[in-house]
Amino acid sequence: MSTIAERIAAAGTGNAIELRGVSRYFGALAALIDITLSVRPGERRAVLGSNGAGKTTLLNCVTGDFLPTLGTVRFFGEDVTTLPPHERIRRGLRRTYQISLLFQRLSVRDNVYLACRGVSRGRFSFSRTRASDAIMQSVADLIALVHLESVADSLVGELAHGQQRQLEIALALAGAPRFILFDEPAAGLSPNERADLVAILTALPAHIGYIIIEHDMDVALRVVERVTMMHNGRIFKEGAPQEIEADPDVQQLYLGGSHA
Amino acid sequence: MTVTQATGSGSIGVGGPQPDSVVTRWVYAHSPILLLGLLLVLLPAIASDFVLNQIVGWTLILGMIALSLMFLAGYGGMVSLAQMTVAGVAGYMITVLGASSLPSISLFWPWWAAAPLAIIIAVAFGTLAGALSARTEGIYTIMITLAIAVAFFNLTLQNWSIFNGFNGFTAIPAPIVFGINWRAPVPLYYLILFFSALSYAGVVYISRAPFGIALQGVRDNPRRMEAIGYNVTAHRIAAYTFASLIAAVGGILLVWLNNQISPGTAGIEATIDLLVIAVVGGLGHPIGAFIGAIIFVVLRTFALDALVAVGFDGRRFQTIIGLGFLAVVLFSPDGVIGLWQRWLARTRGLSGRKVR
Amino acid sequence: MAIVNGNSNQMLGGGRGADALARSIGHHPVAALMIAAAVIGVLWLILAAWPAGFEDVFGRKRLFINALFNGVTLGGLYFLVASGFTLIFGLMRNVNLAHGSLYLFGGYMGYEAVEWTGSWLLSYIVAFVCCAIIGAAMQVLIFRRMEGQDLRQTLVTLGLSIVFSDLMVWVWGGNTFQITTPDYLMGPIPTPIVVAVKSSGEAIFLQYPRVRLVIFAAAILIGIGMWLALNRTRIGVMIRAGVDDRDMLSVLGYRVQLLFLLVFAFGAGLAGMAGVVGGTFQSISLGEDSHFLLASLQVVIVGGLGSIPGAALGALIIGLSEQIGLVYFQNYATVLTFLIMVIVLALRPQGLLGRR
Repeated sequence: MSTIAERIAAAGTGNAIELRGVSRYFGALAALIDITLSVRPGERRAVLGSNGAGKTTLLNCVTGDFLPTLGTVRFFGEDVTTLPPHERIRRGLRRTYQISLLFQRLSVRDNVYLACRGVSRGRFSFSRTRASDAIMQSVADLIALVHLESVADSLVGELAHGQQRQLEIALALAGAPRFILFDEPAAGLSPNERADLVAILTALPAHIGYIIIEHDMDVALRVVERVTMMHNGRIFKEGAPQEIEADPDVQQLYLGGSHA
Repeated sequence: MTVTQATGSGSIGVGGPQPDSVVTRWVYAHSPILLLGLLLVLLPAIASDFVLNQIVGWTLILGMIALSLMFLAGYGGMVSLAQMTVAGVAGYMITVLGASSLPSISLFWPWWAAAPLAIIIAVAFGTLAGALSARTEGIYTIMITLAIAVAFFNLTLQNWSIFNGFNGFTAIPAPIVFGINWRAPVPLYYLILFFSALSYAGVVYISRAPFGIALQGVRDNPRRMEAIGYNVTAHRIAAYTFASLIAAVGGILLVWLNNQISPGTAGIEATIDLLVIAVVGGLGHPIGAFIGAIIFVVLRTFALDALVAVGFDGRRFQTIIGLGFLAVVLFSPDGVIGLWQRWLARTRGLSGRKVR
Repeated sequence: MAIVNGNSNQMLGGGRGADALARSIGHHPVAALMIAAAVIGVLWLILAAWPAGFEDVFGRKRLFINALFNGVTLGGLYFLVASGFTLIFGLMRNVNLAHGSLYLFGGYMGYEAVEWTGSWLLSYIVAFVCCAIIGAAMQVLIFRRMEGQDLRQTLVTLGLSIVFSDLMVWVWGGNTFQITTPDYLMGPIPTPIVVAVKSSGEAIFLQYPRVRLVIFAAAILIGIGMWLALNRTRIGVMIRAGVDDRDMLSVLGYRVQLLFLLVFAFGAGLAGMAGVVGGTFQSISLGEDSHFLLASLQVVIVGGLGSIPGAALGALIIGLSEQIGLVYFQNYATVLTFLIMVIVLALRPQGLLGRR
């Protein structure tokens, strides 16, 4: 992994993602309380915490699946708090889902094609795409990147779980992402598949930052340079991976946690 | 078995092995529909005017309007009961703008002004219906579009200044263009055939265009579509606009075929019959709309005699329709197409060929 | 995540209304002010004697008061029909398009009961029982086998409505039936509302049909009863929980199927009773099933699906709009109701009291 300084130089100044005072209530339940968080462009961050800590809700506020009850969300300096999800995606944000949200009745190729088309022009086009069009090359490249060439024309419903998770990642890499949010990408993967995942994440271009939510600390701590810990809807601690691992408060809260 | 299941076949932009010539391969793959097309083109030579217009012509028009429903429901997951209404709006508008039996209401504009404007008004209406239901959950679409359909029916029934209440209009002829009298049986038939073939081909083609594929994505996973950059509401509304275009043209042809329009044309019974047609034929492929239409038309034309022969009151046609519809929804929700696909799968399975 | 104060509360009318109201007023002071002004304005229109000049512009006060009272009592009738509809949807996600048929069947059965026994009150019980049995049969024989397939269930209700409607035409034909008001409810009741002032300065008060007021009062009682049942009884808690999360309910071991059966039967029975009311208020005949299905649709679209208070509010709005439209905009009466529906769908697609 290259240093933060190099990355900042590559991506310019200013924060990629900035949350200020974000809170999210569901009736009387507070899922997020006064979250203030900044992530630099090109930075690799993990958000960890037990179930119910608010990690996925945080993600959903950044992507626009939910609107925060209070607070603002900025993406590369622009206030996107009330922008609908598809607008944020077109500005370079991407995400994956904890449980793969794929198009079951379409082929792998169609799924990737939809993702590529979604962030380019011609979404409403009435003329069919030819095999020779440039976008099909991007589709082929993405399929190769996640090693799904052999099943490219199978329906998603026929894929194995690990393959579906690969496809999920491919969708997030379509177009020209500037920042990606990974929601528990390692869920349900075998050790080999986890190694593949780590390889894909570390091989991402330097200017693409990401936030990864994970339970599996092994995977998470290996692919990030900074960790944010959440507990009961608040940010509990922030620091480098080694610091967090060694922190007594963290160890107390997550005694017997998933890493050795 | 699911009710809605349309997918364009084949993957996007894939070439595959290249046989003798692209054209030969295409013709071979599409031989059934091409044969049917040939038969339809040659039909006037063998069929009577009655069969031509009252059976086949009416089938093609109903099929067109049902096709607009299939497009929305099969590819978009939106079961819109407002499609017959859109056709009705177009029919009423061309009557009011063009020629009819009532000079006190109709404006008698020439066809090249009346028809396009009628279509525009109908498409605007259909788009509005889409806009109203696009932001709600799937099941609400049936409710909202049904409410719109019934509201329009009530309006045509109660309003006399524009719609002439339950009397409606008669004498709404197709125009004379390029020296051909399009209201004569054979030219009218070809007009109908042309537009229904055009809409069928259009829907099949567009189902694999970016617009069509995006619509199917919206059907299958609207949340994910938002998360990969699509404005789901905009796509849904655009789908309604396209579907309304087809329904509007169908509505004008219907009025020219029947030479009359009244509230019952786009009434509650007609609206529900259209859904029955689409579902019975099968929402899985555009041809389903026309399959359902021919079944309906044949039943409607001959039911009276058949019912009486069996000893029932000939007027119990709607009961037959209702029972037939129930049978399909209960035992083969993907319609006749579904039955045919399962029959194909069984026979292929018996011969040992791999089945998808 | 334990939801302390879940959506079901605000949806089915739970007890935190006062706090929520206070908060809403705080958030939207301008809207609250406008609503308060409108309420005061309407109260003045009702209670004050209209000055002469006012009447020249707005028509006679008697007309307005009658439209108002008719609208509100009609709203009571619509509430009876729509509350069953919304309850069935809220719990079972089934848009019961046969609801109108149940209404009409109840009306016919009530009529027959009165003809046979002469008891108006008994006819309610007969109508309720007959329709409840049909509703229970529908749930047990058909819908139970289609758990989770919302669209398919709705299509089945549509098919059933087609068959029911035609069978009822077969039995009762196109005749109009009126259920006679019992003697003890005949005649008008004097009210303290001034409709006109004689030249001698003496005020004329509104005399309104007793039966309509009694039925309206009964509708309110039934509504309150339902609200209490949903919020204060164990079954009510189960229903609200089931509305929130059906799967959780069955996982927790509750007999979900029995609950569905009871709710469907009750909702159907309620529709049947509403049929007797409608037969007394107005009349019953073929076509009333579509009319009241449409009314139910409009009520829940405006008021919000799955919400009893929503059904009450929606019913009031639709009832008033229909009557006022009839009196003041004859040729375009349905347009007013349609416009209200459009505005609600545009501004708040889930309905005024519906949940997102």
